[in-house]
Amino acid sequence: MGDRKEARETRDDAFQSFVIGRWPRLMRTAFLLTGEQHAAEDLVQSTLEQTFVAWRKVGSADDPEAYVRRVMINAHARKHRRRLKEFLAPKDDSGLVREVADTGDRIAQAEDRSALLQALAQLPPRQREAVVLRYWEDLTETQVAQAMGCSVGAVKSNAAKGIAKLRAIPGLAEMVTHGGRK
Amino acid sequence: MSADRETNQTMTDRDIALLLADAADEVEIGIAPYQAVIRGGRRRRARRWALATATALVIVGTSGGLALAGLRGGDGGEVTPAVTQRSTQPSTPEERHVYTPQETMLAAGTEQGETWYVTVDVWGAPRTEAEAAAQLRSMSSRHEEPWDKDNASALVGKITYFVRRSFGSGDPAFLMGNSVSKQDAMVGTDLQSAATPLDPKKTDGPLPLVVGHVAKTAQEVTCTWKDGSSTVARRVAAGADINSDEAAIRPAAGSPDNWFVCVAPAGTAYESAEVTK
Repeated sequence: MGDRKEARETRDDAFQSFVIGRWPRLMRTAFLLTGEQHAAEDLVQSTLEQTFVAWRKVGSADDPEAYVRRVMINAHARKHRRRLKEFLAPKDDSGLVREVADTGDRIAQAEDRSALLQALAQLPPRQREAVVLRYWEDLTETQVAQAMGCSVGAVKSNAAKGIAKLRAIPGLAEMVTHGGRK
Repeated sequence: MSADRETNQTMTDRDIALLLADAADEVEIGIAPYQAVIRGGRRRRARRWALATATALVIVGTSGGLALAGLRGGDGGEVTPAVTQRSTQPSTPEERHVYTPQETMLAAGTEQGETWYVTVDVWGAPRTEAEAAAQLRSMSSRHEEPWDKDNASALVGKITYFVRRSFGSGDPAFLMGNSVSKQDAMVGTDLQSAATPLDPKKTDGPLPLVVGHVAKTAQEVTCTWKDGSSTVARRVAAGADINSDEAAIRPAAGSPDNWFVCVAPAGTAYESAEVTK
């Protein structure tokens, strides 16, 4: 009995460390996925609650991060399936380019970060997930495929389309130039 | 950047990674709400997916591990224990409603000019993991997801039900659901119910709609409201008229239990529900 209690306390401690340690990074990822502070908090909290339920199994796994990513992406995808539109995202796949043509001036005037977030929000969810996991989370295509529950080919395709749309934004090129990153 | 690891990336990709990092910094990180996560996690663990949008759940009595003899089927006839019934049970998954649920309307009415109704979908028990996996896919196509949707084997030998409430032109909202084996059928005065608003937008308001399931033998459920008044739901036969003015206990196709719905009078809300006869 005492052993069991001790094991549970150890598990709880490990989960607490995990939550506190991963919270900042998960929040950033969720923010890029959702484009909004409160939605990001909700997504991360919900993800961690589900992780808690499965922690006995997850905590002892080799890569708990992979599980958490998968849960988060699933939750994000599920939300999209239900609501279709999250914030600014147009439904059609070619929305971003059209949107840029219509509102180029506004984007150009916007702050760099807001412009990128807005552009990101306009990507279809799967493209957004692929871009965020690949280029922000810095995962390999194989890891992204695991997180998204799809093939590596689908990851390549979604990431390439997403990046192409981001590149097509005039404001983005300016951002990079003015930011001195080229 | 390991984004360069697998494909031949350009400088622009690297720039985008940096821009994403910049954008990600815009979020306010705050303090990790550890206690809230634990509370939420415990809630999820306790109720599993038995209750989603309903805001009160009541489980009275015990169920599970009890004799099947004496249970009544949806048509009112005696249900024979599975072990002796096997030869007469439908054999294909289609006949057993594994891939298409049996849907029963439990109640309907009008609230502030909007029509509402409550339905239950009952999915037959898959016998193999392959049937369960196919069932999960069918459920998904109907936007019905059990808690352990990645674990098909957990559904083997269990019926799965989803209770949903529709209001006006909105999408049906999931109220309660579970996967249960025959041994989990309600007996005696067992009762499991959920109370919820009629209008899904009024999440902070009173809970006038009570939906639950009881043993096939239960003849009467009394829903007591906060103002002290009560409504009695009495057992009716399968196919009996749905009448919002009259609470009823009715069978649902494929379910080992009977189902009841009570609606609170205007101005009051759910207090308790119990089998009284």
